[in-house]
Amino acid sequence: MKKNWKLQAAAPILALVGAAVIAGIILAATGNDPGDVLQVIVDDGFETRRVVDTLNRAAPYYIAGVAVAIGFKMTLFNIGVEGQYRLAALVAAWAGASVNLPAPLHVLFILMVAVITGAAWAAIPGLLRATRGVHEVISSIMLNSIALGLGAFLLHRWFRAPAGEYPGAVGTEVLPTPGRLPLLNGLVEKLGVDLPPGTRLQSYIFIALIIGVAYHLVISRTRFGFDLRASGSNPEAAEASGVDPKRMVVVTMVLSGAVAGLIGLNNVMSNVGDQARYTDVSVVGGLGFTGIAIALLGRNHPVGIALGALLWAFMDALQTPLSSAQLPKQITAILQGVAVLSVVIAYEVVRRIEQRQQASSLRRDSEPPPASEVAPA
Amino acid sequence: MMRLGTAVPSLIRPPGVCVPASRIDDGSVAAVELKGIVKRFPGVIANDDVNLTVAPGTVHALVGENGAGKSTLMKILYGMQHPDEGTITIGGERVEFKSPTDAIRHGIGMVHQHFMLADNLTVLENVILGYEPTRFGVIDFDGARRRIEELTELYGLPVEPDVRVERLGVGDRQRVEILKVLFRGATTLILDEPTAVLVPQEVDELFDNLSDLKSQGITILFISHKLDEVLTVADDITVMRAGTTVAARKPADVTSHQLAELMVGSELPTPETRESTVTDQVCLELSGITVCREDGRPDVDDVSIEIHQGEIVGIAGVEGNGQTQLIAAIMGTTTTRSGSISLDGDDITHWPTRRRREAGLGYVPEDRHRHGLLLDAPLWENQILGHQTQEPNARGPWIDRRAARARTEELVEQFDVRTPTIDVMAGALSGGNQQKLIIGRELMAGPVAMIAAHPTRGVDVGAQAAIWDQLRDARHDGLATLLISADLEELIGLSDTLLVIYKGRIVARLDPAATSPEELGSHMTGAAAAGGAG
Repeated sequence: MKKNWKLQAAAPILALVGAAVIAGIILAATGNDPGDVLQVIVDDGFETRRVVDTLNRAAPYYIAGVAVAIGFKMTLFNIGVEGQYRLAALVAAWAGASVNLPAPLHVLFILMVAVITGAAWAAIPGLLRATRGVHEVISSIMLNSIALGLGAFLLHRWFRAPAGEYPGAVGTEVLPTPGRLPLLNGLVEKLGVDLPPGTRLQSYIFIALIIGVAYHLVISRTRFGFDLRASGSNPEAAEASGVDPKRMVVVTMVLSGAVAGLIGLNNVMSNVGDQARYTDVSVVGGLGFTGIAIALLGRNHPVGIALGALLWAFMDALQTPLSSAQLPKQITAILQGVAVLSVVIAYEVVRRIEQRQQASSLRRDSEPPPASEVAPA
Repeated sequence: MMRLGTAVPSLIRPPGVCVPASRIDDGSVAAVELKGIVKRFPGVIANDDVNLTVAPGTVHALVGENGAGKSTLMKILYGMQHPDEGTITIGGERVEFKSPTDAIRHGIGMVHQHFMLADNLTVLENVILGYEPTRFGVIDFDGARRRIEELTELYGLPVEPDVRVERLGVGDRQRVEILKVLFRGATTLILDEPTAVLVPQEVDELFDNLSDLKSQGITILFISHKLDEVLTVADDITVMRAGTTVAARKPADVTSHQLAELMVGSELPTPETRESTVTDQVCLELSGITVCREDGRPDVDDVSIEIHQGEIVGIAGVEGNGQTQLIAAIMGTTTTRSGSISLDGDDITHWPTRRRREAGLGYVPEDRHRHGLLLDAPLWENQILGHQTQEPNARGPWIDRRAARARTEELVEQFDVRTPTIDVMAGALSGGNQQKLIIGRELMAGPVAMIAAHPTRGVDVGAQAAIWDQLRDARHDGLATLLISADLEELIGLSDTLLVIYKGRIVARLDPAATSPEELGSHMTGAAAAGGAG
């Protein structure tokens, strides 16, 4: 039978309402007026400036969510996205600053280096799992630490720009202009939206969009995607159907890592002079772990992950106006956490209701079998 | 383990169970009496005027097809469902159960088909889990241990209380489940298809245990559709069909064939294959296949089989004699030590599984849940499984959803898979319908050769007949089939050639037309090969 879409839509709505109620209670309990916070959200949250901020922040979250979701689809837990993107961003930033190519090629070159680095780093836990049976959670957590250490070593030993060349943190050389992603401000203004001064809409969001479409097509429309989902659902049945389980583990980890490689590039490839380089400020940590939460929020679904990433980014973007209104900005972090938990719970409840409905409709249709039909003479 | 059958049973009986009331033939009070039970679910009557009387201290078998209402009835008796009409009387006392707790209080215990044990706890801990005896507020392990030792001696259930459950075999686990129920003071045990998970030797042990329990006054309700077992172990048999009890028989007065007819309500189909369709052309050929375990001992030892177009070759054998490994070798999911396999003239010995599938190797796995289905995926995706690179399911690297769905509609129609739509999750279908889906999927792909492992295991008589028909039709159309089964009648009835596997070797080659199940049985135990009865 068709999925009951009303039930499907009820789950996220219920979860969000639940999260809002809990956050309201916490606000009230800590002596704040939930109404004030709501006021800020309504007044400030949908200003053009905030919307642009939300979109820019959502893009890396989305890519991180997809990277994790690829693993989840075959019950592989790539907790190493964190290390994969940070290493990939560093290597890509360094490689991008070391060459001179025409604009589109230069951008493509940087993206490819990031993808390959992420994929290679993720291949290690994949190969360890396939050949030695080492669980990917263990190995990829450990590889996160190694990636950080290796990154710091590479940066300080070979990749760093000469001291004093740029203000601020230690980092790589700045990317030449052809290697940077253009801003979308011009395009948006042509569409009749005036951006406030100082806001920049990054074209990086298109990369997220492309990743999303590709993820959807590969997972649900291709033979490979079918193999991947089958392996996640029942590895033994998948093997009997002709899937090589070891190869599948490696390929899935590599794919997940390849996507992860793109996460940290929004600031590295930004179009703002001194910032278009790898530093500990331009490539923030923790996106890989946020990606896990967002994949959970979005139920591994391409659109769901997008909504999760937007919600998460929206909460982040609210921190500034909340602070300026003398309200506790930490409430956004609480909301993010509560939202993940409520979504997980709400979907499980909906899943059980659906299962029960399906079972009872089957009973109606096929039980008890009339004796005359059951027995061919 | 010692067996002392002389301890006093009343020690472990909860008080207040024996109040005389309704009497059965020999004058004793019925342990369980169900009268006029009716249970309706929306749109269906699961139980309709069910009457069941169980004499104390007997093994009472309840038989019926899948969906005949056995499970619902047992859930009612165990307090998990409430009857809409009718009465339950336990030991003469009219009762109404609100929950399993009430049922347990009245001495009713249930041993589920799927064990509910915590692997990382010991037998003792599992037995007391949820029913911990306490002394001064802490768990009284010593008291529990004494109680368990008492029970194991009294009922001849040999278990070690301090072994972790993860180290136990299936038979032992089942004994722990039984012990758990007895520990809670049960005097009537409901066993839901207890032999489904056991190998033959374990079945024998279980039956020994049951007769010990019976001799100590425990009443046993035994749900099954394995009729031979029912006839061996039961004192009384009640047959259910389409939600109601249709007959009560004594095992001495009825044959398994008659029981099956009572279950189905009409004359039974037989698995007989009529005229031969065997041709000269060899479709699947194994020569000298050897599969070894890690320690080097062979699971499959130098097996050579030829299957011709239009031929069904049956492999008989007690489970665990290499059948699983032989299947894996043909499917390419295990590595062979030596030997070669050819399919339709091509040497496929070193081909990966997918290439073998694409070359026309069909597969009906012995465990459909583990190897044959994606239970949380819809039927149409399950129809793709195993054929995801083939027409019409695939077009280039893409899955052709529309064609795959159309194929599934056709399959559901043609193979009589009973489902409202093809978007139902495979896990929601009954076992018989799941199996019809798998058979249909494999046959519609037009295989050259097919492995059919236990094709009718755990399916009801109706689906069994349909599956036999389909296998016969496929044979007629030229399919080479390797049939592996534990059902001797099925093997003798369907096969053109019958091979017996014993300890990984083919030990006999028989003509099914001239072989009786008894003869086959003696080959399977290796007795005939050893040249005597041993």
